[in-house]
Amino acid sequence: MANVIVIDHLVKRYGATTALADVSLTIRSGEFIALLGPSGCGKTTLLRAIAGFVEPTSGRIEINGRPMRGVPPHRRPVNTVFQQYALFPHMSVADNVAFGPRRNRLPKAEAEHRVAEALSMVGLSAFGARHPRELSGGEQQRVALARALVNRPEVLLLDEPLGALDLKLRKRMQVELKRLHRQVGMTFLFVTHDQEEALAMADRIAVMRQGEIVQIGSGAAIYRNPASRYVADFIGEANLITCSVGAGGVLRLGSDGPTLPYRSEQTGSVTLMIRPEDIRVGTRDAQPEDVIIPVTLRDKAFAGSVWRLYVVAPGGQELAVHSGEAAEAEATTAGSELSIRWRRNTARVLTD
Amino acid sequence: MRLTTRTTFLLLVGPIGFFLLFFVIPFAQLVKESLFGPQGWTLDNYTSVLTDAYYWKALVDTLVISLLVTLVSFLAGYPLAYFMIFHLRSAALRRLIYVVLVTPLFTSNIVRAFGWIVILGRRGMVNAGLLALGAVEAPVDLLYNKASIIIGLAYILLPLMVLTVCSILQSIDRSLIDAARDLGASPSVAFFSVTLPLSLPGVVAGSIIIFALSASAYVIPSILSGGREIVMSMLIFQQYMATFRPDVGATLSVVLLVVTLALIAAYAYGVERRTRVAM
Repeated sequence: MANVIVIDHLVKRYGATTALADVSLTIRSGEFIALLGPSGCGKTTLLRAIAGFVEPTSGRIEINGRPMRGVPPHRRPVNTVFQQYALFPHMSVADNVAFGPRRNRLPKAEAEHRVAEALSMVGLSAFGARHPRELSGGEQQRVALARALVNRPEVLLLDEPLGALDLKLRKRMQVELKRLHRQVGMTFLFVTHDQEEALAMADRIAVMRQGEIVQIGSGAAIYRNPASRYVADFIGEANLITCSVGAGGVLRLGSDGPTLPYRSEQTGSVTLMIRPEDIRVGTRDAQPEDVIIPVTLRDKAFAGSVWRLYVVAPGGQELAVHSGEAAEAEATTAGSELSIRWRRNTARVLTD
Repeated sequence: MRLTTRTTFLLLVGPIGFFLLFFVIPFAQLVKESLFGPQGWTLDNYTSVLTDAYYWKALVDTLVISLLVTLVSFLAGYPLAYFMIFHLRSAALRRLIYVVLVTPLFTSNIVRAFGWIVILGRRGMVNAGLLALGAVEAPVDLLYNKASIIIGLAYILLPLMVLTVCSILQSIDRSLIDAARDLGASPSVAFFSVTLPLSLPGVVAGSIIIFALSASAYVIPSILSGGREIVMSMLIFQQYMATFRPDVGATLSVVLLVVTLALIAAYAYGVERRTRVAM
């Protein structure tokens, strides 16, 4: 697949603060890629740099092989879906969507055809004559999508587009966005702070922290093999167990807990990551290579498909366990002693 | 917190009472005076005023001057407001400009009108400059005409336009302008298709205030006209204070008010129809 966007050592500084510190990223044509990170991590700055609203301090952005330095926003082959949609309040829905085609001097018939097509794509064919303020949040969101898609940009930039919607609508729009992406075959670059959203939609996720991309890969790969404690904590639910590195590089739980069958070249302390759903309760079907530790149950909560158990390991560190084995979980009561186990290779030793 | 009907009513008593006492009742008195002749109720005053070409000219001149003052204030005030809101990064500098704009409002109009005489007179600064540059051979008449009245009024009323436009420009969501740029609009197209239409309510508010104040202004026109131009407010003053015809003065006042109100209503309605949703 051809590269549609190449970002090369991009830096953006505002006075003394660095918004983007040396970001490099290559986006392939047709990809659905998410920039994920907490607010202030530089993801929106990166998006705005691609759209042309932020002039980088140094570095290079290329779209389809064309360097973008000095190219103003209105001449870039990208369109943005803005966070609060930014629909023009003084124009009808149809005029909003037709804004781009008119600026690009498309023939009238062609423009009208495209507007109708874009509106039907988002299921708003009947809404052309309405005004944005007469629409619900979800409908406004669709208009914003149609208004950007109608221009058939090389890359569609989405700046937290689902952030203003309620949970139910957000889930539905996730599916819808995914469908649209397949349908139009465009490259989508999606900014979000919601890891669930990124996992649900993106082909690849670039996790950002303090102006840098700290890890990039498919959702599953990042979830399974986070590169750092930060990423593990950010993506999905994780037990981050602080371990000390003893003699010979052997890990101990906490500072003086039981030894664990993991090694590290580092000295001092490291983090052992284990996902709650990878932990089992009891020792009944334990395999020889399983890691088993004794714990005390502190709390449990029924969550439909699983029980959420909160247990305390020797040394006082708390772990979350998602147990699908209902019978075992139900039999326990708070304060009881039990064992938990996990496959040795499901846990990861991480550095910060 | 929502106010109860009772509190709202109590809060409104003051303003409504004031309005009744100092506007509605005096105005009713004025209307009555204009309709009352020696033989009782009559329309004589209106027929004589409205059939007199002299009064018509004064009325038209007043409206033309007010219109041009509004236009000049818009053309000078809008760019200034735009600059202050969109280009001035420093909030301190913006505040300074606000102060500079508002301070002259504390100065007497009379002083400021005489200021213009000093500047625009035959021996004034402008003529001195033009003569020194050799641009003209003899002093030009800049004073005592419609232009000097317009300059004087626009100078005094300009801040009102700047302030109303500033406040509306400030309220425009910047991402709308970004969106326009993103969709292929050059900076100027984005301005004319998004910023300007969205700021029209502020322009309308500012121009209505300025038009109304220009049409009723007395001090500035009477000083800067040098008696060579007559506007309605000067005529009305004369009727009361020089020719002692309060009935004619009242008639002229009513005519001016009705015409001004009608024009403002038509203007507001026209703009409203075109930009209804922007409000």
